[in-house]
Formats: sequence, C-alpha cells, structure tokens
Amino acid sequence: MTPLQFEARYQADWEELQRLLHRLQRHERVPEPVSAERLASLYRRACEQLALARARAYPTHIIERLNQLTSDAHQVIYQQRELGLGRLRRLIGRDFPCVVRAHSAYVWLATAVFAVPMVTLGLLVYLNPDLILSIVDPRTAAAFEAMYSDTAKSIGRLDNAERDWAMFGFYIRHNIGIGFQCFASGLFAGVGTLFFLAFNGAYIGGIAGYLTERGLSSTFYSFVVTHGAFELTAIVLTGAAGLRLGHALVAPGPRTRREALILAAREAIVIVYGAVGLFLIAAAIEAFWSSARWIPLPLKYGVAACCWIGVLGYLWRQGRHAR
Amino acid sequence: MLDTVVSAETPEGIAVELRPAGFGARYFAYLLDQFIRIGIVYTFALATIIMGGFGFGLLLILAFALEWLYPVAFELSRWGATPGKRALGLKVVMDNGLPITPAASFIRNLLRAADFLPAAYGAAVVSMLLRRDFKRLGDIAANTLVVHRPTTPAPVAIEDVEPLAPVRPLQPQDQAAVVALAARASRLTRERLDELAALAAWVSGDMGRSGPEVTRRVLGVAQWLLGRR
Repeated sequence: MTPLQFEARYQADWEELQRLLHRLQRHERVPEPVSAERLASLYRRACEQLALARARAYPTHIIERLNQLTSDAHQVIYQQRELGLGRLRRLIGRDFPCVVRAHSAYVWLATAVFAVPMVTLGLLVYLNPDLILSIVDPRTAAAFEAMYSDTAKSIGRLDNAERDWAMFGFYIRHNIGIGFQCFASGLFAGVGTLFFLAFNGAYIGGIAGYLTERGLSSTFYSFVVTHGAFELTAIVLTGAAGLRLGHALVAPGPRTRREALILAAREAIVIVYGAVGLFLIAAAIEAFWSSARWIPLPLKYGVAACCWIGVLGYLWRQGRHAR
Repeated sequence: MLDTVVSAETPEGIAVELRPAGFGARYFAYLLDQFIRIGIVYTFALATIIMGGFGFGLLLILAFALEWLYPVAFELSRWGATPGKRALGLKVVMDNGLPITPAASFIRNLLRAADFLPAAYGAAVVSMLLRRDFKRLGDIAANTLVVHRPTTPAPVAIEDVEPLAPVRPLQPQDQAAVVALAARASRLTRERLDELAALAAWVSGDMGRSGPEVTRRVLGVAQWLLGRR
C-alpha cells in the first residue's frame, strides 16, 4: 500500500477520532455524549496504523499526525483524576492516619531528633540564660520577653502586629513553609530534614527555657500548649515524610534509587497533606484562641489537653478497622 | 530525530514521543510566572492596604497560596501548565505521557524547596543541566516531565511533478529520505535543493549527475513512492 492509499483509506477514521477527542477536551458544561466503545476502537486502530506507518517508513507528516492523534487519545483515555470531596474524606478518615502508622519508625525517629535538642537546649538555657544569645540576637530575645510579659495586650505578638488576622496569615505562611522545608530537604539523603528538625527543636526549646527562667512560664505555656498539639505534631510528621525520602535514597533495597524515591515520595506526600491540615488548624487556634487573654487559664489547659488527646488518638486509632 | 526525545510506551504497544523542555525555555517560563505572581501580590496589596490587619493577613495567605499552590492549581487544570509555561508552549506530564496526577503535582512543587537550595534554584539547575531529560529534583521524585507541547504538523505540500519509478527497489529508510526531501523542497533554495537531490540521484538512475533536471527526476521518484503512479 502506498502512503497516499494509506492516507485515503484511513482518513475518515482519523478525522472522526479527532472530532471525538476535541469534543471531550472542550470541557463543556453539558458535554455531548461520546461513545466510549467507539473511541476505544478508533484509538486502537490508530495505534495499529501508527505502528504500520512506522514500520513501512511512511512520510513524516503521516507519522507525526498519527503520533499526535494517538498521544492525545492516550491522554484522554488513561487520565486519572483523584480530586474531590470523596478523596478528601478518605484521606482524613483513613489514608492519612494509616500512612502515618505505616511510617511509625520514621515518626519516632523524627520525634527524637526534634525533641532531644528541644529538651536539652531548654534545660541548658534555663540553667544558664546567657546561652540564649547563642541562638538569637539580644533584640529578638527582648522581643520574645515583651511578647509574653504580663502587660502585653495579647500574648505571643508585639503591639505593632496586634491584629489576629494578620498573625493568622503570618502563621500559615511561616509555619507551613517550615514544614515543607523539613519534607523537601529529605531529598539530600535525609540530612537536610535532620538538620531542620534539630534546628527548630533547639530554637523552640531555647526560647521556652529562656522565658521560663524569666518567670513568664504561665503566659508562655498557656499560649503554646493548645496549638502545639497540632503544630509540633505537624512538624514532626513532615520531618518523618522527609526521612522517608532520604531513606529511600540511602538504602533503596531491591529497587533502583530512582524507583525507590518515586515510590517513597508517593507514600510520603500523603503525610504532608495531613500535616498541612494540622498546620492550618494550628494557625487558626494560635491566632484566635491561644492569644486571647480573656480566657481563664484552667479552660485553656483543659482545651489543650483535649487537643493533645484528640490529635494523638486520631493518629493512633483512626481508620484502623476501615476497609 | 532529536537526541533528547523520550519515548513512552502505551499499553497498546506503541511509543509516544515526548520532547523534554530544556533549561532555557523553563527558565523563561519561570520568570514569566514570577512576574505574574509579583503583579498579583502588588495589585492585591494596593487593594487591601485600607483594610489594616485583616487585609495584611489575607495578603500573607495569598502570598503563601501563590508560592505553593499556584503551580499545583494550574498544572491540574486542563492546560497542564502554569501561565508562564503555557506562554512558552510547555506542559507538565507524567513520564508515560499522561496528564499529571494531583499527587505528582504536589510532590514536584513541594520539593521546589529542595530544588531551591543552596540558593537561587542551584540544585535544580545542576540537575537539569546534567540530565538528558532536563528533570529537576522534584521531577525525578514525582516521575514527571516538562515537555514541549506538540504542535500540529503543517500539511505537507509536495510540488506536482511527473511521477517516475525508481530504477531499483528501495529500502524503507531510503524511501523515507527521498519523500522527506520532497516535503522540504519548497523551503530550500534552488541551489541547495539541487545539491541534496544530487546525493539521492541514484534512485532515478542519475548517479553522479546534478542539476535542475536531476532534481525534477528525484522529486518524481518521491511522487511515485507516495503513490501517484
């Protein structure tokens, strides 16, 4: 068969396939129905014709045209869309806590790398307050002290940024940024994640030790304890996700490093989704609840205890029996 | 054939050809996106300046969304690319040529934080320059590829000349070469066309000769191969 005969014989098929694809890709509100059977059969035929055209070294324009036609159809037929409310419900109800439990070794390691520097620095700074200057400069230290002093109008912020909403935005941008950094730097064999976890742990611990030593513990702890349930958990979880990436690169097992990394990323990203949710809750609590002075301390601690039990219980039990 | 073409095999056993986009195109796409984002932030900042703390909070949330969610939202749209990439004719697809999945889009865009290190996307640049498929770290982990959107091939107009049977049967790749020459004929100068046709002159039995007459005969063979007999 000559190229011209080939083109003439299948032209109608190609045009019909093109029309069907065009209709499917237009995303109309009320799409015209397209027969899946017809589409699949035209696609398979086009694949066959492309293979023939290549084998017979037909002119490039025919091969190009078939190549584009089949690749467009391939995209339409095999695409997977997994967005939507159903997916979100599955993520919260089952996938997120289950994936976290499946990565419990990473979660415990991340917890240790985060908590050990936090406690160590906290104690060191508490015993020797001058050490705070090795973490932050004097102005920042003074600013922290002012934020949690008994005379501050609302806790945890300076007067010039007193609006709750402004702080809400700030917490979202800053904290989720830290979380993403913890996750992404796992790509460097996990070293980046270890660094960011330890660094943030040491920083938080140092500030806590300093403020405790200054006698501001009741303001400070009543401020951080509620949203800490979400925020500290989320930092540790993003760290665990980063460690998973790093581990896949260092010890890929039976796979190639590339395959191991792709698989690890696909699983770890579910942890990051959940952590982002926790960060958002934390930001809202931090901006509108933790900073409020009018709430009596016992109530704050009571709510905080519920939050901690809720978060840990959720990660521990949720979705265990779901199928 | 370009040396950077990646072919992805479909379940039907045919290879789909993907053309990965290089550093230059991706850099300009990034710059464009960056300008768009800065433009949005400035416009919004002007609009919310009167709203005080509330507006400032919204502005920070917007900055956060633009930094992390802007690429994800656009990559998952029907175009599969941010406006900057779209302007440069690029598109993000999975390694197998399929549209990008939400998980892959989140992975490649969150790992931006790693690509950015140590400064100014250093890791991304090194990775892109070292690889044949120009992937940055996020692309490697997400199994994605930034490709040039295929352009619709222009219909080939081959000049009408008298068909002429080749002097002996031609191998498929020789046939393809002669037809490809005929397809390019209208875009070449007369002299260059004669030169190239002289290389293929043996198909019409004119080995060793050249000139407009030989060219016409070679193009005639192309006509015959295409099926005009």
